[in-house]
Amino acid sequence: MEQVLKLRNLKVVFPTDYGLIRAVEGVDLDIYHRECVALVGESGCGKSVTSQAVMRLLDSPPALIRMDVLEFDGRDLTQCTEAEMQEIRGKELAMIFQDAMTSLNPVMTVGNQIDEMYRRHYGDSKQAAREKTVHALELIGIPEPKERANSFPHQLSGGMRQRVLLAMAFACMPKLIIADEPTTALDVTIQAQVLKTLRGMQRGCGTSLLLVTHDLSVVAKMADRVYVMYAGKIVEKAPVKELFTNPHHPYTVGLMAAVPRLTDEKKKFTQIPGTVPSPVHKPSGCYFHPRCEYATERCRREMPRLEPMGRDRQVRCFHPLGVGGKSSD
Amino acid sequence: MKLSYVIKRVLYSLFVFAVVITLNFFIPRIGVEDPAERYYPPQGNMSEIEYEIVKQLTREQYGFHVSTWQQFLNYLKGLAQGDLGTSFRPGSPKVLDLIKERLPWTLVLSVSTMLIGLIVGVLFGVVAAVKRGRWQDTLLLNASTVMVALPSFFIALVLSFYLGFEWEIFPAYTDSTMVSEFAWTWEGISRVARNAALPVMSMMVGSIISYAQGTRNAVIAVTNEDFVLTARAKGLKRSTIRYKHILRNSLLPIVTSLGMSISGLIGGQVVIEQVFNWNGMGTLFLEANQTNDYPLMMGIMLLLSGFTILSILLTDLVYVLLDPRVTVGDKR
Repeated sequence: MEQVLKLRNLKVVFPTDYGLIRAVEGVDLDIYHRECVALVGESGCGKSVTSQAVMRLLDSPPALIRMDVLEFDGRDLTQCTEAEMQEIRGKELAMIFQDAMTSLNPVMTVGNQIDEMYRRHYGDSKQAAREKTVHALELIGIPEPKERANSFPHQLSGGMRQRVLLAMAFACMPKLIIADEPTTALDVTIQAQVLKTLRGMQRGCGTSLLLVTHDLSVVAKMADRVYVMYAGKIVEKAPVKELFTNPHHPYTVGLMAAVPRLTDEKKKFTQIPGTVPSPVHKPSGCYFHPRCEYATERCRREMPRLEPMGRDRQVRCFHPLGVGGKSSD
Repeated sequence: MKLSYVIKRVLYSLFVFAVVITLNFFIPRIGVEDPAERYYPPQGNMSEIEYEIVKQLTREQYGFHVSTWQQFLNYLKGLAQGDLGTSFRPGSPKVLDLIKERLPWTLVLSVSTMLIGLIVGVLFGVVAAVKRGRWQDTLLLNASTVMVALPSFFIALVLSFYLGFEWEIFPAYTDSTMVSEFAWTWEGISRVARNAALPVMSMMVGSIISYAQGTRNAVIAVTNEDFVLTARAKGLKRSTIRYKHILRNSLLPIVTSLGMSISGLIGGQVVIEQVFNWNGMGTLFLEANQTNDYPLMMGIMLLLSGFTILSILLTDLVYVLLDPRVTVGDKR
């Protein structure tokens, strides 16, 4: 299969007055053509920083960024100049942000903000760009697209605004879209509609999607493959079905248990004890050991490596669950 | 919706102006006894009857012979015809004429100060915001700290001492014939410019720094907004982002401070005008105060407050043009 994105050993550090914040510590990502890959983790685990680093949108300074490989569509992005990146951003590599209210310019009509995509990347005239914008808004499911294009962001509902961001991201039919918590700011019914639209557009346009989220129900609905991230490191990588039926890493198991289910009445709604470690003072050994009920002396001393575990699966744990007779509950 | 907002704002401004006119009329009258007695004390050889006649004539001349309410009505009638009243000065000049005579000279100073402050200040502020943390930004920060401790009249004294008296680059003192001999010739204008140099310089430092500081903070605040990241993710060029997305949004606080300073344009700078012997509105107001010439004080106050109300109204209306969200708050 054709590989769209290949990221190897991404490290991002923010120097602060309190010490170094190691936001991302050696993350690898692979995204293939037409695939939806989810990057899951709690807030502060480094997933947004990872996505912005892939877009090369992180400002350095303050961020210190190091990566071995960043290949997008066969091109080495680490060698691109800022001007070349500006050509790629939006046109081939687009991004959808979390809060559409603040992510849209409040003093520009949404139409103008989408027009900018066509005018920048295709050099379209004002009229031609607007025609395409209206078409894009229609495609994304906005009623009366011509009138809506002249609205300001505050005049639209939350779901509409998010759809505007989708229309913007899909405007130039990019190869890859990075969606950073695209539905977190919406209520559940609207969330479902927007996700459906996103999934439909992604399939229809043949775009690959990197979905950054903390919401496992979104992952279950959308993703083909999943990366689970904890404290700046990937702890588990698996196809979505296998991850949900047989999670290996205790953190993944904890995340699953924390999702309330209607069907399982026996299982209690549990939460992972403790909190995410401070990014300045991460624990010794495995970062998850202070919250892990299976932790041993070795976990406290040594950081486990991300080991292959069957076909297309990887897990960073000395004592993976659900393997070789051990059960996950 | 926008039209109703405009009408609402205009009506509100008119209401405030009516209140201002009323207060402006009655407040000076609270503590003042009969102006005739006050300004024309008995002369040596004047008999009691003669003095009464003089007082009565004076009252009639200034319109004090009727009740306070009637005076108020007369005052309003005068205002409607553009008459601000008559000064107590010898020769009974009209207040409006006195103001007309001084206002242009104040505007020479205040408008040039504001324009220089606005243009240089906004440019400097944008540079400081873009070069955040570098020497340009540090310079602005230090300059504004120093400015807090340096009032403009102190700068005025230092400038007039060195540039005026010591090095004789600019006149340290406005020559009294500048106004009387003024003509719209090259010489006349350049003479005014030379005389205005020091007062404008002493005021513009503070003006530049306050605009620069405001612009810098606004630009930095907007640069950290989410939609700027969106604009970058769209692949827009830095210049497009800077001018179309950041600057437009940073304009709002700049417009506010501009609107605030417009009302100060006609008030004049009492202290600076005194230091440089500049015959403007500030000096006129000071003279009115010293001679208890309250028709003149009232006239100046009314003009000032009217202008303030007008500039606030204009600021609000410009906001509607700049920020489409303004009408939303109004709907609630």
